[in-house]
Amino acid sequence: MGAGAQAGAARPGAALPVQYLVPDWVRVRQESFGLLFYDVRSTRLTFVRSGDSLAAPAFAGPRRVLRVGPLEGARRAAVSRLLQDLAVKGLIVVDKSD
Amino acid sequence: MSTSLINSRLRAPVNVTWEITEVCNLDCSHCLSAGLRAAGRGELDFDQCRALIDEMARMQVFQVNFGGGEPFLRPDFLDILRYTHSQGITSCVSTNGTVLDDALIDDLLEMAPLYLQVSLDGARPETNDVIRGPGTFARILPGIELLAERRYPDFSLNMVVTRLNAHEIGEFDALARSYGAKTRLSRFRPSGRGCNTWDDYRLTREQLLELSAFLGDHPEILTGDSFFSLTPESRRKLGLNMCGAGKMTCAVAPDGSVYPCAFLCDPGLLAGNVTDQPLSAIWDSSPVLERFRQLEIETCRTCDRFDMCHGGCPAIGYFLSDSLGLPDPECLRAVTG
Repeated sequence: MGAGAQAGAARPGAALPVQYLVPDWVRVRQESFGLLFYDVRSTRLTFVRSGDSLAAPAFAGPRRVLRVGPLEGARRAAVSRLLQDLAVKGLIVVDKSD
Repeated sequence: MSTSLINSRLRAPVNVTWEITEVCNLDCSHCLSAGLRAAGRGELDFDQCRALIDEMARMQVFQVNFGGGEPFLRPDFLDILRYTHSQGITSCVSTNGTVLDDALIDDLLEMAPLYLQVSLDGARPETNDVIRGPGTFARILPGIELLAERRYPDFSLNMVVTRLNAHEIGEFDALARSYGAKTRLSRFRPSGRGCNTWDDYRLTREQLLELSAFLGDHPEILTGDSFFSLTPESRRKLGLNMCGAGKMTCAVAPDGSVYPCAFLCDPGLLAGNVTDQPLSAIWDSSPVLERFRQLEIETCRTCDRFDMCHGGCPAIGYFLSDSLGLPDPECLRAVTG
Protein backbone atom coordinates (compact mmCIF):
# COMPACT_ATOMS: atom_id res chain seq x y z
CA MET A 1 0.00 0.00 0.00
CA GLY A 2 1.56 3.29 -1.02
CA ALA A 3 2.05 6.31 1.21
CA GLY A 4 -0.18 8.41 -1.01
CA ALA A 5 -3.11 6.01 -0.73
CA GLN A 6 -2.81 5.92 3.03
CA ALA A 7 -2.47 9.64 3.32
CA GLY A 8 -5.76 9.97 1.52
CA ALA A 9 -7.47 7.49 3.84
CA ALA A 10 -6.69 9.33 7.06
CA ARG A 11 -7.60 12.78 8.34
CA PRO A 12 -5.54 14.83 10.78
CA GLY A 13 -6.84 14.53 14.32
CA ALA A 14 -10.16 13.12 13.17
CA ALA A 15 -10.54 10.46 15.80
CA LEU A 16 -8.55 11.40 18.87
CA PRO A 17 -8.67 14.42 21.18
CA VAL A 18 -4.98 15.19 20.72
CA GLN A 19 -2.87 15.56 17.62
CA TYR A 20 0.65 14.13 17.38
CA LEU A 21 3.66 15.58 15.60
CA VAL A 22 6.74 13.75 14.37
CA PRO A 23 9.73 15.57 15.89
CA ASP A 24 12.79 16.75 13.99
CA TRP A 25 14.91 13.82 15.18
CA VAL A 26 12.55 11.20 13.77
CA ARG A 27 11.88 9.94 10.26
CA VAL A 28 8.85 7.80 9.54
CA ARG A 29 7.58 6.16 6.41
CA GLN A 30 4.63 4.08 5.34
CA GLU A 31 5.09 0.35 4.86
CA SER A 32 2.63 -2.40 4.00
CA PHE A 33 2.29 -3.36 7.67
CA GLY A 34 1.95 0.20 8.97
CA LEU A 35 4.71 2.62 9.93
CA LEU A 36 8.48 2.31 10.16
CA PHE A 37 10.14 4.82 12.47
CA TYR A 38 13.84 5.75 12.54
CA ASP A 39 15.28 7.74 15.42
CA VAL A 40 18.14 9.87 14.10
CA ARG A 41 19.63 10.16 17.60
CA SER A 42 20.08 6.44 18.10
CA THR A 43 19.62 5.14 14.51
CA ARG A 44 17.14 2.69 16.07
CA LEU A 45 14.21 1.35 14.05
CA THR A 46 10.70 0.81 15.35
CA PHE A 47 8.27 -1.28 13.34
CA VAL A 48 4.65 -0.44 14.06
CA ARG A 49 1.90 -2.77 12.91
CA SER A 50 -0.69 -0.03 12.50
CA GLY A 51 -2.22 -1.05 9.19
CA ASP A 52 -3.99 1.94 7.68
CA SER A 53 -4.92 3.49 11.04
CA LEU A 54 -1.95 5.85 10.95
CA ALA A 55 -0.49 7.71 7.98
CA ALA A 56 3.04 9.05 7.84
CA PRO A 57 3.57 12.75 7.16
CA ALA A 58 6.29 14.12 4.86
CA PHE A 59 9.73 12.53 5.27
CA ALA A 60 11.33 15.74 6.54
CA GLY A 61 10.40 19.34 7.07
CA PRO A 62 8.56 21.49 9.60
CA ARG A 63 5.41 20.55 11.49
CA ARG A 64 4.86 16.98 10.42
CA VAL A 65 1.48 15.81 11.70
CA LEU A 66 0.90 12.09 12.18
CA ARG A 67 -2.48 11.48 10.62
CA VAL A 68 -4.95 9.24 12.41
CA GLY A 69 -7.76 7.55 10.56
CA PRO A 70 -11.35 7.36 11.80
CA LEU A 71 -11.39 4.86 14.65
CA GLU A 72 -14.05 3.23 16.73
CA GLY A 73 -14.33 0.90 19.73
CA ALA A 74 -11.51 -1.53 20.42
CA ARG A 75 -9.46 -0.29 17.48
CA ARG A 76 -9.60 3.25 18.84
CA ALA A 77 -8.40 2.07 22.25
CA ALA A 78 -5.60 0.02 20.71
CA VAL A 79 -4.37 2.89 18.56
CA SER A 80 -4.52 5.25 21.55
CA ARG A 81 -2.27 2.89 23.50
CA LEU A 82 0.04 2.58 20.53
CA LEU A 83 0.34 6.36 20.24
CA GLN A 84 1.10 6.69 23.94
CA ASP A 85 3.83 4.08 23.59
CA LEU A 86 5.34 5.92 20.62
CA ALA A 87 5.23 9.16 22.62
CA VAL A 88 7.07 7.51 25.53
CA LYS A 89 9.75 6.43 23.07
CA GLY A 90 10.06 10.00 21.82
CA LEU A 91 8.99 9.03 18.31
CA ILE A 92 6.00 11.35 18.37
CA VAL A 93 5.10 14.35 20.54
CA VAL A 94 1.76 15.85 21.49
CA ASP A 95 0.96 18.93 19.44
CA LYS A 96 0.64 21.79 21.90
CA SER A 97 0.28 24.52 19.31
CA ASP A 98 -3.47 25.09 19.88
CA MET B 1 12.54 -6.51 16.06
CA SER B 2 9.86 -8.55 14.40
CA THR B 3 11.20 -10.93 11.78
CA SER B 4 7.82 -11.17 10.11
CA LEU B 5 7.74 -7.41 9.58
CA ILE B 6 11.27 -7.35 8.14
CA ASN B 7 10.21 -10.14 5.79
CA SER B 8 7.21 -8.14 4.66
CA ARG B 9 9.29 -6.55 1.88
CA LEU B 10 10.12 -2.97 2.70
CA ARG B 11 9.32 -0.40 0.05
CA ALA B 12 12.88 0.95 0.26
CA PRO B 13 16.15 0.14 2.00
CA VAL B 14 16.44 1.37 5.58
CA ASN B 15 20.05 2.25 4.87
CA VAL B 16 22.32 2.22 1.86
CA THR B 17 26.05 1.66 2.02
CA TRP B 18 27.66 3.85 -0.59
CA GLU B 19 31.29 3.29 -1.47
CA ILE B 20 31.68 6.82 -2.74
CA THR B 21 35.25 6.62 -4.06
CA GLU B 22 37.85 4.13 -5.15
CA VAL B 23 40.67 6.33 -3.92
CA CYS B 24 42.47 5.44 -0.72
CA ASN B 25 45.74 6.41 0.90
CA LEU B 26 46.07 3.13 2.81
CA ASP B 27 46.47 -0.43 1.62
CA CYS B 28 44.84 -2.56 4.31
CA SER B 29 45.31 -6.29 4.07
CA HIS B 30 41.64 -7.10 4.75
CA CYS B 31 39.99 -4.33 2.66
CA LEU B 32 36.56 -5.44 1.51
CA SER B 33 36.59 -2.79 -1.25
CA ALA B 34 39.92 -3.73 -2.78
CA GLY B 35 38.17 -5.67 -5.53
CA LEU B 36 36.13 -2.62 -6.53
CA ARG B 37 39.28 -0.52 -6.70
CA ALA B 38 41.11 -3.11 -8.74
CA ALA B 39 38.25 -3.16 -11.24
CA GLY B 40 38.84 0.56 -11.84
CA ARG B 41 35.38 1.27 -13.24
CA GLY B 42 35.46 4.90 -12.20
CA GLU B 43 33.16 6.96 -10.02
CA LEU B 44 29.82 8.73 -10.30
CA ASP B 45 30.32 12.45 -10.92
CA PHE B 46 28.75 15.05 -8.63
CA ASP B 47 25.58 15.46 -10.70
CA GLN B 48 25.08 11.70 -10.71
CA CYS B 49 25.65 11.63 -6.95
CA ARG B 50 23.10 14.38 -6.43
CA ALA B 51 20.59 12.51 -8.58
CA LEU B 52 21.10 9.38 -6.50
CA ILE B 53 20.59 11.36 -3.28
CA ASP B 54 17.38 12.82 -4.71
CA GLU B 55 16.24 9.32 -5.54
CA MET B 56 17.05 8.04 -2.04
CA ALA B 57 15.13 10.96 -0.54
CA ARG B 58 12.15 10.09 -2.75
CA MET B 59 12.40 6.50 -1.57
CA GLN B 60 12.69 7.73 2.02
CA VAL B 61 15.95 5.94 2.77
CA PHE B 62 16.76 6.79 6.38
CA GLN B 63 20.53 6.57 6.39
CA VAL B 64 23.46 6.47 4.00
CA ASN B 65 26.67 4.86 5.21
CA PHE B 66 29.51 6.35 3.21
CA GLY B 67 32.67 4.34 2.73
CA GLY B 68 35.31 3.86 0.13
CA GLY B 69 38.21 4.03 -0.42
CA GLU B 70 38.71 6.95 1.90
CA PRO B 71 35.65 9.20 1.43
CA PHE B 72 37.38 12.39 2.55
CA LEU B 73 39.89 12.08 -0.28
CA ARG B 74 37.13 12.72 -2.79
CA PRO B 75 37.31 16.48 -3.49
CA ASP B 76 33.54 17.03 -3.60
CA PHE B 77 32.67 14.72 -0.73
CA LEU B 78 31.69 17.48 1.70
CA ASP B 79 29.29 18.86 -0.89
CA ILE B 80 27.81 15.37 -1.30
CA LEU B 81 27.45 15.08 2.48
CA ARG B 82 25.82 18.48 2.80
CA TYR B 83 23.37 17.68 0.04
CA THR B 84 22.53 14.34 1.66
CA HIS B 85 21.72 16.05 4.95
CA SER B 86 19.75 18.79 3.22
CA GLN B 87 17.41 16.07 1.94
CA GLY B 88 16.70 14.81 5.47
CA ILE B 89 18.89 11.71 5.19
CA THR B 90 21.19 10.84 8.08
CA SER B 91 24.74 9.80 7.28
CA CYS B 92 27.56 7.81 8.75
CA VAL B 93 31.06 8.11 7.32
CA SER B 94 33.60 5.34 7.64
CA THR B 95 37.05 6.92 7.52
CA ASN B 96 40.60 5.83 8.14
CA GLY B 97 41.07 9.04 10.10
CA THR B 98 44.30 10.08 8.46
CA VAL B 99 42.99 13.30 6.93
CA LEU B 100 40.95 14.64 9.84
CA ASP B 101 41.91 18.17 10.81
CA ASP B 102 40.28 21.13 12.55
CA ALA B 103 38.76 22.59 9.39
CA LEU B 104 37.22 19.28 8.36
CA ILE B 105 35.83 18.68 11.85
CA ASP B 106 34.31 22.19 11.79
CA ASP B 107 32.49 21.24 8.58
CA LEU B 108 31.29 17.93 9.99
CA LEU B 109 30.04 19.51 13.20
CA GLU B 110 27.86 21.85 11.14
CA MET B 111 26.06 18.79 9.77
CA ALA B 112 25.45 17.08 13.12
CA PRO B 113 24.23 14.53 13.78
CA LEU B 114 26.73 12.94 11.43
CA TYR B 115 28.07 9.62 12.63
CA LEU B 116 31.78 9.14 12.18
CA GLN B 117 33.41 5.75 12.33
CA VAL B 118 37.21 5.72 12.48
CA SER B 119 38.91 2.47 11.54
CA LEU B 120 41.71 1.24 13.77
CA ASP B 121 42.59 -2.42 13.90
CA GLY B 122 44.28 -2.77 17.23
CA ALA B 123 44.92 -1.07 20.53
CA ARG B 124 48.65 -1.03 19.85
CA PRO B 125 50.71 0.11 16.86
CA GLU B 126 52.39 -3.26 16.39
CA THR B 127 48.99 -4.96 16.06
CA ASN B 128 47.23 -2.37 13.91
CA ASP B 129 50.15 -1.80 11.59
CA VAL B 130 50.41 -5.44 10.53
CA ILE B 131 46.84 -5.18 9.23
CA ARG B 132 46.55 -1.57 8.03
CA GLY B 133 50.15 -0.97 7.03
CA PRO B 134 53.41 0.20 8.63
CA GLY B 135 53.14 3.48 10.49
CA THR B 136 49.37 3.75 10.16
CA PHE B 137 48.61 3.71 13.89
CA ALA B 138 50.68 6.87 14.27
CA ARG B 139 48.89 8.44 11.28
CA ILE B 140 45.41 7.57 12.54
CA LEU B 141 45.70 8.50 16.21
CA PRO B 142 46.09 12.29 15.80
CA GLY B 143 42.72 12.45 14.06
CA ILE B 144 41.11 10.51 16.91
CA GLU B 145 42.77 12.79 19.45
CA LEU B 146 41.44 15.80 17.60
CA LEU B 147 37.90 14.42 17.58
CA ALA B 148 38.19 13.88 21.33
CA GLU B 149 39.65 17.35 21.87
CA ARG B 150 36.83 18.89 19.83
CA ARG B 151 34.31 16.73 21.73
CA TYR B 152 32.88 15.35 18.51
CA PRO B 153 29.59 13.89 19.74
CA ASP B 154 28.98 10.89 17.51
CA PHE B 155 32.13 8.98 16.74
CA SER B 156 33.22 5.42 17.19
CA LEU B 157 36.43 3.51 16.78
CA ASN B 158 35.92 0.50 14.57
CA MET B 159 38.00 -2.63 14.72
CA VAL B 160 37.61 -5.48 12.28
CA VAL B 161 38.12 -8.43 14.59
CA THR B 162 40.76 -10.84 13.32
CA ARG B 163 42.98 -13.52 14.75
CA LEU B 164 45.72 -10.88 15.08
CA ASN B 165 43.83 -8.39 17.24
CA ALA B 166 41.08 -10.38 19.02
CA HIS B 167 43.16 -10.55 22.20
CA GLU B 168 43.14 -6.74 22.37
CA ILE B 169 39.39 -6.17 22.31
CA GLY B 170 39.24 -5.17 25.96
CA GLU B 171 42.20 -2.85 25.56
CA PHE B 172 40.70 -1.42 22.38
CA ASP B 173 37.44 -0.73 24.19
CA ALA B 174 39.34 1.06 26.94
CA LEU B 175 41.21 3.10 24.33
CA ALA B 176 37.97 4.15 22.66
CA ARG B 177 36.41 5.11 25.99
CA SER B 178 39.47 7.17 26.86
CA TYR B 179 38.69 9.32 23.81
CA GLY B 180 34.98 9.52 24.52
CA ALA B 181 34.29 7.29 21.54
CA LYS B 182 32.04 4.28 21.26
CA THR B 183 33.57 0.93 20.42
CA ARG B 184 32.44 -0.78 17.29
CA LEU B 185 33.51 -4.29 16.36
CA SER B 186 33.07 -5.48 12.80
CA ARG B 187 33.27 -8.89 11.33
CA PHE B 188 36.10 -10.01 9.11
CA ARG B 189 34.75 -11.64 5.97
CA PRO B 190 36.50 -13.28 3.01
CA SER B 191 35.41 -10.57 0.57
CA GLY B 192 37.62 -8.18 -1.35
CA ARG B 193 41.21 -8.56 -0.20
CA GLY B 194 39.88 -10.54 2.75
CA CYS B 195 39.80 -13.54 0.41
CA ASN B 196 43.58 -13.56 0.42
CA THR B 197 43.95 -13.20 4.18
CA TRP B 198 40.99 -15.32 5.31
CA ASP B 199 43.04 -18.33 6.40
CA ASP B 200 45.46 -16.20 8.39
CA TYR B 201 42.98 -13.72 9.89
CA ARG B 202 39.85 -15.76 10.59
CA LEU B 203 39.14 -16.22 14.25
CA THR B 204 39.93 -19.46 15.99
CA ARG B 205 37.18 -21.40 17.73
CA GLU B 206 38.41 -20.16 21.11
CA GLN B 207 38.46 -16.55 19.90
CA LEU B 208 34.94 -16.84 18.53
CA LEU B 209 33.72 -18.13 21.89
CA GLU B 210 35.54 -15.37 23.77
CA LEU B 211 34.10 -12.77 21.42
CA SER B 212 30.60 -14.17 21.89
CA ALA B 213 30.96 -13.93 25.66
CA PHE B 214 32.45 -10.42 25.49
CA LEU B 215 29.61 -9.13 23.33
CA GLY B 216 27.10 -10.75 25.67
CA ASP B 217 28.66 -8.95 28.62
CA HIS B 218 28.90 -5.60 26.79
CA PRO B 219 25.60 -4.63 25.17
CA GLU B 220 26.93 -1.11 24.67
CA ILE B 221 29.45 -2.31 22.07
CA LEU B 222 28.28 -1.52 18.54
CA THR B 223 28.53 -4.27 15.96
CA GLY B 224 26.62 -3.03 12.92
CA ASP B 225 24.72 -6.31 13.16
CA SER B 226 27.91 -8.16 12.23
CA PHE B 227 27.80 -10.83 14.88
CA PHE B 228 24.15 -11.76 15.32
CA SER B 229 24.90 -15.39 14.45
CA LEU B 230 27.46 -15.56 17.23
CA THR B 231 26.02 -13.52 20.05
CA PRO B 232 24.04 -14.82 23.00
CA GLU B 233 20.35 -14.33 23.73
CA SER B 234 21.08 -11.22 25.81
CA ARG B 235 21.85 -9.16 22.69
CA ARG B 236 18.84 -10.34 20.77
CA LYS B 237 16.92 -7.09 20.98
CA LEU B 238 19.85 -4.88 20.03
CA GLY B 239 19.56 -5.28 16.31
CA LEU B 240 18.86 -7.61 13.45
CA ASN B 241 18.58 -11.35 13.94
CA MET B 242 18.97 -12.12 10.26
CA CYS B 243 20.86 -11.06 7.16
CA GLY B 244 19.47 -7.72 5.97
CA ALA B 245 20.90 -7.89 2.43
CA GLY B 246 18.20 -6.97 -0.06
CA LYS B 247 15.64 -6.73 2.75
CA MET B 248 16.87 -3.77 4.79
CA THR B 249 19.94 -2.63 2.91
CA CYS B 250 21.87 -2.60 -0.31
CA ALA B 251 25.23 -1.24 -1.40
CA VAL B 252 26.24 1.17 -4.16
CA ALA B 253 29.76 0.94 -5.58
CA PRO B 254 31.74 4.01 -6.74
CA ASP B 255 30.58 3.48 -10.34
CA GLY B 256 26.92 3.20 -9.36
CA SER B 257 26.69 -0.58 -9.38
CA VAL B 258 24.21 -1.91 -6.85
CA TYR B 259 24.78 -5.05 -4.76
CA PRO B 260 22.84 -6.73 -1.93
CA CYS B 261 25.27 -5.47 0.73
CA ALA B 262 28.75 -4.04 1.12
CA PHE B 263 30.16 -7.50 1.76
CA LEU B 264 28.59 -8.94 -1.36
CA CYS B 265 30.01 -6.62 -4.02
CA ASP B 266 30.76 -9.40 -6.44
CA PRO B 267 30.09 -9.38 -10.20
CA GLY B 268 27.91 -12.45 -9.77
CA LEU B 269 25.61 -10.50 -7.45
CA LEU B 270 25.23 -7.31 -9.48
CA ALA B 271 21.66 -6.05 -9.06
CA GLY B 272 21.88 -3.12 -11.46
CA ASN B 273 23.50 0.27 -11.91
CA VAL B 274 21.99 3.62 -10.94
CA THR B 275 23.28 5.18 -14.16
CA ASP B 276 21.05 2.77 -16.10
CA GLN B 277 17.90 2.79 -13.97
CA PRO B 278 16.67 4.43 -10.76
CA LEU B 279 17.63 2.81 -7.46
CA SER B 280 13.93 2.35 -6.71
CA ALA B 281 13.49 0.27 -9.86
CA ILE B 282 16.49 -1.85 -8.94
CA TRP B 283 15.16 -2.30 -5.40
CA ASP B 284 11.72 -3.25 -6.70
CA SER B 285 12.63 -5.54 -9.56
CA SER B 286 16.18 -6.89 -9.34
CA PRO B 287 16.18 -10.71 -9.40
CA VAL B 288 19.40 -10.65 -7.36
CA LEU B 289 17.82 -8.70 -4.51
CA GLU B 290 14.68 -10.85 -4.71
CA ARG B 291 16.86 -13.92 -4.42
CA PHE B 292 18.23 -12.62 -1.11
CA ARG B 293 14.74 -11.86 0.16
CA GLN B 294 13.78 -15.45 -0.52
CA LEU B 295 17.06 -16.93 0.70
CA GLU B 296 16.61 -19.58 3.35
CA ILE B 297 19.35 -21.65 4.85
CA GLU B 298 17.50 -24.93 4.90
CA THR B 299 20.10 -26.86 6.87
CA CYS B 300 19.73 -24.39 9.76
CA ARG B 301 15.97 -24.76 10.15
CA THR B 302 16.17 -27.41 12.84
CA CYS B 303 18.75 -25.51 14.88
CA ASP B 304 17.60 -24.27 18.28
CA ARG B 305 19.13 -20.86 17.48
CA PHE B 306 17.42 -20.49 14.10
CA ASP B 307 15.18 -17.67 15.34
CA MET B 308 18.27 -15.79 16.49
CA CYS B 309 20.25 -15.85 13.25
CA HIS B 310 18.31 -17.51 10.40
CA GLY B 311 21.50 -19.00 9.06
CA GLY B 312 23.75 -15.99 9.66
CA CYS B 313 25.79 -14.10 7.07
CA PRO B 314 25.59 -15.66 3.58
CA ALA B 315 28.69 -13.78 2.41
CA ILE B 316 31.08 -16.13 4.17
CA GLY B 317 29.76 -19.23 2.43
CA TYR B 318 29.43 -17.38 -0.87
CA PHE B 319 33.03 -16.29 -1.05
CA LEU B 320 34.38 -19.58 0.24
CA SER B 321 32.33 -21.82 -2.02
CA ASP B 322 30.83 -19.52 -4.70
CA SER B 323 27.31 -20.54 -3.77
CA LEU B 324 24.48 -19.04 -1.77
CA GLY B 325 22.35 -20.77 0.82
CA LEU B 326 25.16 -22.19 2.92
CA PRO B 327 25.10 -21.82 6.70
CA ASP B 328 27.38 -19.33 8.39
CA PRO B 329 30.45 -21.36 9.43
CA GLU B 330 31.09 -19.04 12.37
CA CYS B 331 27.71 -19.29 14.06
CA LEU B 332 27.58 -20.12 17.75
CA ARG B 333 26.27 -23.64 17.20
CA ALA B 334 28.93 -24.42 14.62
CA VAL B 335 31.56 -23.21 17.05
CA THR B 336 30.23 -24.98 20.12
CA GLY B 337 29.54 -28.18 18.17
